[in-house]
Amino acid sequence: MGKLKTIARRTFLIGSAAIAGGVAFGVYKVRQDPANPLLENAKSGEAVFNPWVMIDGERITLITPHTDLGQGAESMQAALIAEELDVEFGQFETRFGVPAAAYWNTAMAGDAAPFKSTDDSFTAETTRAFMSGLFKVIGMQGTGGSSSVPDSFDKLRMAGAVARETLKAAVAQNWDVSVDDLKTEKGAVIMPDGTALNYTEIAALAAEMEPVEEVVLRDPSEWRLIGSQMRRTDIVGKSTGTLKYGIDVDVGGMVHATVKVNPRRGVMNSYDAGEAEKMSGVLKILPVTNGVAVVAENTWYAFKAAEAITCDWGPSPYPAEQSDHWKAVADSFTDDRLDKVWRKDGDPDAGLSGDVVEAAYHAPYLAHAPLEPLNAVVKVTEEGADIWVSHQIPRIVQQQVAAITGHDTAQVKLHGQYAGGSFGHRLEFENVKLAAEIANQMRGTPVKLTYSREEDFAHDYPRQISMARGRGAVKDGKVETYDLSIASVSSSASQIGRIGMPMPGPDSQIPAGAWNLPYAVPNFRVSAYRVPELAPTSSWRSVGASSAGFFADSFLDELIHAAGADPLEERLRLCTHDLARKVLEAVGEMSGWGGDLGPDRGRGVAFVNSFGVPCAEVVEVTNTPGGIKIDKVFIAAEVGTVIDPVAFDNQVKGGVVWALGHAMNCEVTYSDGVAEQSNYHAYEAMRMYQCPEIEVRGLENGDTVRGVGEPPVPPAAAALGNAIFAATGKRLREMPFNKHIDFV
Amino acid sequence: MKITVNGEMHDVAVAPDMPLLWVLRDELKLTGTKYGCGIAQCGACTVHIDGVAVRSCQMPVGDLEGEVTTIEGLGQPQVLHAVQAAWVEHQVAQCGYCQSGQIMAAASFLDTNPDPTDADIDRVMSANLCRCGTYPRIREAVKTAAASLRGA
Amino acid sequence: MRRLITVTGLLLSGAALASDGHGLVIKTPPVGSVSRTDGLQAWEKIHAVVSHPRCVNCHTDEQNLPMWSGPEYADVRPHGMNIHAGESRIGAETLTCQTCHVTSTRPNTVPRAAPHTGMEWRLAPAEFLWFGVDGRTICEQIRDPERNGGRDGAGLVEHITHDAEKKGFITWGFDPGAGREPAPGGMQAHLDDMIVWVAAEMPCPE
Repeated sequence: MGKLKTIARRTFLIGSAAIAGGVAFGVYKVRQDPANPLLENAKSGEAVFNPWVMIDGERITLITPHTDLGQGAESMQAALIAEELDVEFGQFETRFGVPAAAYWNTAMAGDAAPFKSTDDSFTAETTRAFMSGLFKVIGMQGTGGSSSVPDSFDKLRMAGAVARETLKAAVAQNWDVSVDDLKTEKGAVIMPDGTALNYTEIAALAAEMEPVEEVVLRDPSEWRLIGSQMRRTDIVGKSTGTLKYGIDVDVGGMVHATVKVNPRRGVMNSYDAGEAEKMSGVLKILPVTNGVAVVAENTWYAFKAAEAITCDWGPSPYPAEQSDHWKAVADSFTDDRLDKVWRKDGDPDAGLSGDVVEAAYHAPYLAHAPLEPLNAVVKVTEEGADIWVSHQIPRIVQQQVAAITGHDTAQVKLHGQYAGGSFGHRLEFENVKLAAEIANQMRGTPVKLTYSREEDFAHDYPRQISMARGRGAVKDGKVETYDLSIASVSSSASQIGRIGMPMPGPDSQIPAGAWNLPYAVPNFRVSAYRVPELAPTSSWRSVGASSAGFFADSFLDELIHAAGADPLEERLRLCTHDLARKVLEAVGEMSGWGGDLGPDRGRGVAFVNSFGVPCAEVVEVTNTPGGIKIDKVFIAAEVGTVIDPVAFDNQVKGGVVWALGHAMNCEVTYSDGVAEQSNYHAYEAMRMYQCPEIEVRGLENGDTVRGVGEPPVPPAAAALGNAIFAATGKRLREMPFNKHIDFV
Repeated sequence: MKITVNGEMHDVAVAPDMPLLWVLRDELKLTGTKYGCGIAQCGACTVHIDGVAVRSCQMPVGDLEGEVTTIEGLGQPQVLHAVQAAWVEHQVAQCGYCQSGQIMAAASFLDTNPDPTDADIDRVMSANLCRCGTYPRIREAVKTAAASLRGA
Repeated sequence: MRRLITVTGLLLSGAALASDGHGLVIKTPPVGSVSRTDGLQAWEKIHAVVSHPRCVNCHTDEQNLPMWSGPEYADVRPHGMNIHAGESRIGAETLTCQTCHVTSTRPNTVPRAAPHTGMEWRLAPAEFLWFGVDGRTICEQIRDPERNGGRDGAGLVEHITHDAEKKGFITWGFDPGAGREPAPGGMQAHLDDMIVWVAAEMPCPE
């Protein structure tokens, strides 16, 4: 077989395997698999087995295209490949690779399909398959939606297995032994006589081979890595200051820039940079969309000069004052704003004919504010553009930059970087567009754009603002009727609109975590109302469920208390989903539910299923004279398979800290069209002294492997509110809670 | 002006009111010290000046007296400081962006108080922000580092 | 009487206008010219200064907690970030104040940054308690050498001029910069008031 044909096959392999046996619609287009980006620069003697594994005479390179935002995606992806490839940590290098359609995310679209993850019906499965195909056509290489694990789990193990079997086949052919007599371990093929042939030694031979097509993934009982503690690939770099983040990128001849852009997201009428131009270290003042950029000899000179520029800003395209945002949300519980009735069991209206429990809830805008401020390095030349940035949707960034510089997308190269956190912040790309605008005005010179923390806060696309109204009824000590209406802006539509795409149909994020509660309440209705766009919003760790999950479980807790039932027992009595029941039972057992806590203490339980992960939490608090002290959190999450117990534990605890911190004391509010919170002094979240002890348990009862970056977030605020109610009798229905109660 | 960083003398020609943070990052290319907030809210820029933890974003380079140690000077990948070794052992980092500052704060503290109580640890480390929520692991790593520094 | 004589002695010897470094003018009142009423009026102005958030936030009790109060803060609360200054009152036991509040005589220009002065940042000694304390109690504390650092009237005046030389906390209180509300008046007026109050034998309100 000629080289070209081999290459074609190498390109095809994993993609077709990954979608085998599922897609009934749009198959033809989907099956035209995207090209393997590693083949573009493959050298002679370098074996490129698929888009994830490359071995030459010196090194084994694994490509980890899901962006490492701190969640450990790089290690997780490498471990999955290494599991089947039979290489150990330390024997391989990793690279983020280049943005390419080959790295399409099969899992991300799964949760975008409007079916409960517990719904295995034909329609649900078919729609998921269709969404997957749609995303592949887009070529979306996305990191988000807790999808890196589900997207990678089969695909990357397969990538490792294909490479391993091809290496064995090369040895079998060249040494005239049977493949069945060969073993692999620690980066080598082991001959029948025990001789070890390192993969690097036989890479050139394997490069001439046609990749093996059929591989069988190992039985979990044979796993060496998956399920055991690993040492993250980045842990030494992150403990010694040697790991480089996007903000640390240094390109030769680089200049430093910052921007001052209308904090109301309107136009800039005029600006006066007279004083800034004279300041030391300033090289250039350049106009950018809705603002102005300072280019200087270092970042600090740029920051100081930007402060000295006075701008005349146009008004915000959304209400200038926060009270009008809330009013717009409150006014949206109307028939014409109804997005969809997501669930209707029994006869809710009849169930509400007697005594009704009513409650209204609020969840504010929230900033992402990862600790690494937004940044990007861009160099534009006549031939193309180079971008150094960490981003969750790098292929979209390439398109956005190409539109600014006038190049073809193929001429725009993106060099992926480690991120100092994201939580959804790096799904937006205004920073890269502005860096490209600056660099395009000084072609040939690399420009590093760094946002000040204040600029980062001002231009954060916050979490959706939303409200809920619950009405319910209880009978004979049981919850009988549950009717929850949620009104929210659509962060999905806002976000996708900025990419330039429409979002047809209802937004499944508005009721996320609420409509799929696994409870057989006889009369059960969840309705979503779409609030017209206010401030532009975006995905914030756990997206819709971060607010809807809080509303849904808090209101259930109110009804359970109204019924006089035990919060955990009643949830278990109502639970119809086996995996959900097991996480509830787990936190009950972990927390010693029912045991005496002593005076001034209380515990609350909450359950939310988001991103396909049933997750339950118990929070224990003490009502001290100075305020509420969060003592302890117990959390159980069902993820199918825990890949790395250490990374799992860290992610889950981080999710709890994230959720509790923001629920305690964070909100973004607008005044005069500007976000009032400009730095961490006004957006504190949790600090160590407030951090409770957190006990984590991962359950592996399900068949589907899931990611756990987001699912711990939604139940936490509800469990905290429920615990505070138990300790104080005070029900918290509005976040942040410190508007109503103090914390110590 | 002349400043000593990690035992090396540097001559830097910058405005004297420029914060040490930016001298380290942009002039000396020591990027292990991080910019997070610029107002002493997050602690990501923590360095030692004569062994004492200082937020380098608050220190005008023209007022600097004493020798600066950054995360790069505390220990290196092959020769980890006890605090760094504890951070690796407990796999503290998620995104890791705050951890240079966390480690520098812990190292300075343990130098003067090698046997801290839990309350002491919460007092020292609560001025360093971690958005990923690694606080439970930071607590454990500080205790491990303390034990290691005491030779336990 | 000893106190007054000492003060007057200092004032007379210091009558040659501004001394080195502090840039303030010491205006000596003629001996016996300051009435108790004048002194009480001067005290009221001193009290307006020493009860201002710029001052009281770091004149706190033996819990050793700096406070956050004043128009820059939504509520009255202890300093965020779980800060405890310790018995050392400089944070030596855990986290030193100077970790964030560096020592620098440069103006404070960055909004919401940790303020700095030319003196090492710290809490005043616990016996100099001003936070949450009424004016008369503060007054009695300030004039009591047992509870004011051993200062007589001259010492109190010298405390202000010394601070001006160092660009210390009192100086900062009147010029905190960066959008913070200053204590009312200014260094010169505060010095003038202190001299009058001392010359009137440090009267305190009944």
